[in-house]
This record gives sequence, structure tokens and C-alpha cells, in this order.
Amino acid sequence: MKTHDPIAPLLEGARLVVCCGPGGVGKTTTAAALGLRAALMGRKVIVLTIDPARRLANSLGLEELSNQPQRIDLAENLETVPESVGEGELWAMMLDQKKTLDDLVKKHAPDPGAFERAQANNIYRLLSSTLHGMQEYMALDKLHDLYTGGYFDLVVLDTPPTKNALEFLETPTRAATFFDERIIKWFIPSRRSRSLFGRVLDPGSVVQKLLKTIFGEAFVKDLSEFFETLEFLQQALQSRGEMIDYILRDEQTHFFVITSADPRRMKEALFFHEKLGELSQKAEAFVINRVIPNFEAADLEVANEARLKEFAGEDAPDEELAALSSELSKAYEALSRLARRDRDALEGLARKIGPELMQRVPMLGQDVHSIEQLLSLSGYLTPSRPVEL
Amino acid sequence: MMEQLESKRLIFVTGKGGVGKSTVTAAIASALARRGKRVLAVETDTYSALADLLDVKLLEGAPAMVERGLWATNVRAEDALVHTIRQFVPSDRVSRAVIHNRVARVFFKAAPSVNEFSILNKVMALRDEGDSPSTRWDHIVVDLPASGHAVTFLGVPRTLNGMMRVGGFAKMAGKIASEIEDPSKVAVVAAALPEEMPVKETIELGQQLEETVRRGLTMVLLNMMHEAPFAPEREALFDRVRAGAASASTPGIEVERVMEGSALAWEWYERDLKYAKVLKDAVDCPVLELPMFYEADGASVVDRVSAYLNGERDPGGELAS
Repeated sequence: MKTHDPIAPLLEGARLVVCCGPGGVGKTTTAAALGLRAALMGRKVIVLTIDPARRLANSLGLEELSNQPQRIDLAENLETVPESVGEGELWAMMLDQKKTLDDLVKKHAPDPGAFERAQANNIYRLLSSTLHGMQEYMALDKLHDLYTGGYFDLVVLDTPPTKNALEFLETPTRAATFFDERIIKWFIPSRRSRSLFGRVLDPGSVVQKLLKTIFGEAFVKDLSEFFETLEFLQQALQSRGEMIDYILRDEQTHFFVITSADPRRMKEALFFHEKLGELSQKAEAFVINRVIPNFEAADLEVANEARLKEFAGEDAPDEELAALSSELSKAYEALSRLARRDRDALEGLARKIGPELMQRVPMLGQDVHSIEQLLSLSGYLTPSRPVEL
Repeated sequence: MMEQLESKRLIFVTGKGGVGKSTVTAAIASALARRGKRVLAVETDTYSALADLLDVKLLEGAPAMVERGLWATNVRAEDALVHTIRQFVPSDRVSRAVIHNRVARVFFKAAPSVNEFSILNKVMALRDEGDSPSTRWDHIVVDLPASGHAVTFLGVPRTLNGMMRVGGFAKMAGKIASEIEDPSKVAVVAAALPEEMPVKETIELGQQLEETVRRGLTMVLLNMMHEAPFAPEREALFDRVRAGAASASTPGIEVERVMEGSALAWEWYERDLKYAKVLKDAVDCPVLELPMFYEADGASVVDRVSAYLNGERDPGGELAS
């Protein structure tokens, strides 16, 4: 029988894998494990995360990641590097929004002063690190560079938890509305009609007056300045947005939904699956992390006190063994309830999306924070490609 | 531990995704209601689990009653914005007209943090409404977005106040900022899991809160602490049994599974202990450990945690030892 493995064939040919799903399910670690697997298939891979937490660095056994691609030396981190690695390489980077936006402004600035003007603007300072959507846009911009740069065969993109990740997919078009032509015209005085007639008829001016009353003149002025400073980005962003949209729709781009077997996370994962559908995309694999193995309460009938005594040896104290046996029964029963819950959730998911798309990863007792641990975890993702050492 | 929350009317709950933040929010609200208080649980996200956990359908407008003393509501960014603008214009109609204006819409979308501010402003208004004990909320418990955002969220009024400096909006922002910064008035509770990254992030959250909002966490609720599968003094005996089973020629799949499961449960227990200690050593607020409840459905876990917060131990009679 062929090993059930929806992921390996995709990793072999993909140019971009987008990992999405709810928070707290090991998404970033899974992205790193997928990257490692693809590198072991001989591909040059970069894992890109925009998660401001240092999860990716952590699961790669690193202290920190920077805004620049950083190579993970497999030979140094693994006891034995599988031969299949060939020309394969694993790289990682974490998006620093502020730096990325600065780079973008510098790159497209029409004059050297534009970047300094932007930096002096209150709104720019705040926006570059806090605005939702901006962050996603910056990530897509970075993705574009890595994707078209020519060096990497595959980009594995780790997205933020569900809600933000949805914005992420909508970002190419959002960027265009963010720098909406109308708003720019309206905010930038030099572009507006100077005639009295024009000013009276301009619906913006009434609103602008009202906004000034509410938010204060300084704030509205800052915002006008902000749009003025960044006007030159409009063109650049729009053409990039279209390009990124094209990349996301390429047939070598695959969306994976990462979740855990917890019923609530499953529900969120399905929500994501539906949302992908609305955006005319399709999840091609579901990774279900932290699945409790098939523990059955009935196992306790076999693994009873007498058996335990047999394993412990004749000289084990009876009273202690009886206590241990009763404690183990109670704990194992609770565990079997958890296992049952996971099984039900998995069956529910299989009915909705089909079992062929699902890959399960069993629950481990420890966190992953070395490449060695990542390698053993990653084995569950692509079981048809066992690593030969 | 509930006394610390009972003295605050406004309780913000935060935490990274997946740590049970909404469960903790629902449980705190329900525990306070069961202490005879009139409580409102608030969700601020469009996709929040709060309504599900409380098993209630949230409609726009009036809060929905969950059980005796407990109501729930959803504060949506747009309604909150209408409410905020309304304080500067003569009517709801004008307020809606302002935010529906095409140009103004782009302004609100682009203006940093106006949405976050409006939500906070609306929560404050909910707190201040009602003039008799039967209409006034004793507590409002707010399910905030995941932690990175929570710091930004709670820091928004101070930032806006600094950016606008003068005018009605700046004044309003300044007032809200001072309230949030006062730990005797407003509680900020972090939900966390006893695992490496969640603990690290909670410690960072506390530090960032000090930096951005100039206050610390009120408490951390450490969710899903696993019980030991056997008394720690029997660890050596368990190891002996396990080694014996492993070397037996045919232990049988059942025995293998029981050994594997028990070993897994022991690893969880040790890991939880370790990270609970890391957390307690690093934060200077109380850390309350919540046991793992082996339940399938969210609503019953909320019940259990709520009872646990109110001091009932082992409510379902299923906890070991």
C-alpha cells in the first residue's frame, strides 16, 4: 500500500508554500519543519515568518533571527546530514516591519530628502510598526523579493494567526485602496483646485474641517503630510500588489492549513478553509498537530496491577505497586477521554474536507528547539520520504 | 485570588492565541457573576470564541443574558466609532454620515489606532452607564486581541493623546489613558500556558506593558496545568515497570499504550512544573495555576474553571490526588 502522504509531492515542486491557521497550534514550528524537509529533498528553501514572537528562531535552535536571510548550517546542527540533501539549503528570516518599510521608502524615494521627511512624520513612525495590513503588505513585499530573487527554489511563508492571515491574502488589493488615489488628491493641497468655486464644491473640505475639529489640526496635518510623503509609493505598491496577486495564484503556490485536534482550533481551521474558498484559493493539505495517540480505556484491563508487578519484578513492594496501578488507571482514563475527543474532531474534519488532504502529527511531550528535534518532528509530515542516515 | 479582581470594575484579559484566553475571560466573568455581581463579558474581535464558550448568541445592540448576573456583548469597531464621533457632533445621524463619507472612511482606515481607541472608549462608556445597582455593571470583563496587539491596544490612548496634544479628542484620550494606567482601577490579566514560548511571551508582555502603558499585569492565569499521572515519589517504581515492559518479549499493544501514555503525561507534568517556575520567578504579580480539565466541550470547561476560581476544588471529582 502506498504511504499516505499529501505533503511530500507538493514540497518537491512548490515555489511557495503558505502556512496558515489558528494561533497556538505550532504553525511556525511546522513551517520550519516543512522547510527542513524540502531542504533535505535537495531544494534551496527559505522560511519567512512575520510572527513578531521569536518562535521560528526558537524552533531552529537560534537565539535570534534578523531581517536578512540567515543560513541554518545543517552539518553543524545535525549529528548526521542525510545524503538526500545534495544541493539543498535551509535559510530563515523574520520580518522586521519597520526596517522593511524604511527600505521600501528609500528604494522608491524620488529625492534623498523624502526618507528623512517620512521619518520625521508622527504618523509614519506609528504606522510603520502598528497598522494592521501594513505589516501583511510588508511581508508580501519581502516575499516578492525572495520569490523573484532567483536564489531560492522555495519560500515557506508562516502567517500570523487566523484573522490577520485573512487580511494577508487580501492585502494586494488592500494596498491599492490604502493608497487610494482619491484620498491622496484630497489630502495633498497642491493637487486640489485652488478656485473658490472648487473649494466650496469639494466635499472633502467640509469633512476635513470636521475631522480637524474632532482630531485636532496637528493630527490631520500630519496625516496629510504622510500621504504626501508617501505618494511616490503609490505606483510602486500598486504594480507590486498585482505581481504578488499573480504569485499567490500560481499553480506552484500551495496553501497549507495548520491546526491542532482541539475542537475549537478545528473550527477555526475550517473557517479559514472556507475563507480561502471565498478568495478562490484552496487548501491543499491540512496538518493536524499534537494529536493524542489512540489511547483506549479498555487497555487498562490488560495492563492491570498483576501485569505491572510482573514487569517490576517480584521484589517490588505490593502496596506501592497497588498505589501506582490505581494512579495510572485514573490518569490513563483521562488521557483516553482526550484521545477520544481528538479522534472525533479528526473524523469530523475528514467528513468535511476528505481524509486524503490530512496529515496528522502526534503529540510530543517536549517543545522543539533544536534542528535535531525538528528533524524527528518533520518525519511525521512526509512519511513517504523517510530520512536515510 | 478573586479578591484582586473583585476590586476592579474593568478587567482586560489578554494572551496569545491558543492559550485559552477566551475561556479564561468567560470563566472570570462567570465566577464574578456567581459571587452575586452584575457582570458584562465583552468580545472585541470579529472572530472570538466567547459567544460559543458562553453558549449564547450575540446580536448587535443590547447585551445578551447568559445566566443569572452574567451578560455578554460584542463591541464592534464601527459602532464604537459612531459612538466616539457622536461625542463631537450633534446627532447619531451626523456621526454615521461622517464615518460613511467616502473620504472620511479612508481617513479612519488609515488613521492609526482610531478603531482601537473607539473600542476602549465604548468599553469605558459601558462601565459608566446605569445609575442604579440594578442597571449598573459591577464588572466588565474584556476579551482583548492576542498579546502583541494587547500592548498596542492598551497603549493607544496615550499614543493618540501624545500625537494630538490639544483638542477634545486629545483630552478624551488622555483621560482614558490615565485610567488604564492605574492598576488600582483597571485589571490586566494574562492567560498563558506552562510551555516555553507562551511563558516567554507572557514575561515579555509584562515588560512591554510596563514600557508602553506604565503599569504591570494584575495576575497571570496559567491554564491547563497537567496533573502528575502518579505521585512523584513513585517515579522510580514507574521507570522500573516501564523498563520491564519494554524488555518483555510480548508486552502487548495495550501495555505499550498505557506505558507510552503515562510517560507522556509525566513529561507534561514535568514540563508544566518547570515553566510555571520560570514564569513565577520572572513576573512580579500573582500566578494562579488552573488544572487541565479533560472535557470535550468548551462550555463545561468554562463552568469548571469558573468554579475553580471561586475556590471549589475538584468540582467534577475527576482530578487525581
